[in-house]
Amino acid sequence: MNTTTASGRIEYLPRSRRRLLVAGAMVGYPAAVAIVAALKHTSLNRWLILTLFLLVLLPTVATLLAGYRYARGRIDGRRARLDERDLTLRQQAYALSHRVLAVILVAVTAATEVYLTSGNTLRLDASSFLAAAMWVIVYIPALPSLMLAWIETDQPADD
Amino acid sequence: MTESQRRVHNRLAVLRAERGLSRKQLADKLGINFQTIGYIERGDYNPSLELALTIAELFRLPIEAIFSFKPMTPLSEEIFRDPPTEPR
Repeated sequence: MNTTTASGRIEYLPRSRRRLLVAGAMVGYPAAVAIVAALKHTSLNRWLILTLFLLVLLPTVATLLAGYRYARGRIDGRRARLDERDLTLRQQAYALSHRVLAVILVAVTAATEVYLTSGNTLRLDASSFLAAAMWVIVYIPALPSLMLAWIETDQPADD
Repeated sequence: MTESQRRVHNRLAVLRAERGLSRKQLADKLGINFQTIGYIERGDYNPSLELALTIAELFRLPIEAIFSFKPMTPLSEEIFRDPPTEPR
């Protein structure tokens, strides 16, 4: 595959499509984990559950990579020349990432608190911790790139 | 451009066309990325005061001839509007 052409296409994606990719990337992994959690205690074949998990997870990984590629060099500052608009966008992307992360953490903490105060117990084993750890490892570094892809308006047509 | 910012209108596309400059050529003179020129022309990005003054300096025009809060009218219309009356 011609990588120059591919990255060019990603840069010129309209915002509506970029936002769909970002939404897919954000929802994909939790959805895949939820599917496994819901199905693992059923009599469903393990291979079928694994297939379903991969069917949801693989497009999520692809959209995460697309988001990272879109913001490549601008979020991490590796692009040789970031002008004032790039720097402003980067600042906005980091600010939005912080807000999104805060909302997710508050929501998860509140939901856990409600669950626990309702008389339930929460068992933290290796597999449930791994799911949470994977989310932290993958999403926290990727959030600013995803948010940049979310906020940037469509590129002007070439002159 | 954030929601709270006022829209700044500009004549950048007209001035650039008059001087036969592409976005890339203008961007190189200003030391910015060529996409930024497109975003400014479309009104999606308000340049900093420093960049606006640099643009004015490059075109040798007063800054208010390039950027305005009011929608821009053709320059020729502004020049010939209300011609000065001869003193009697």
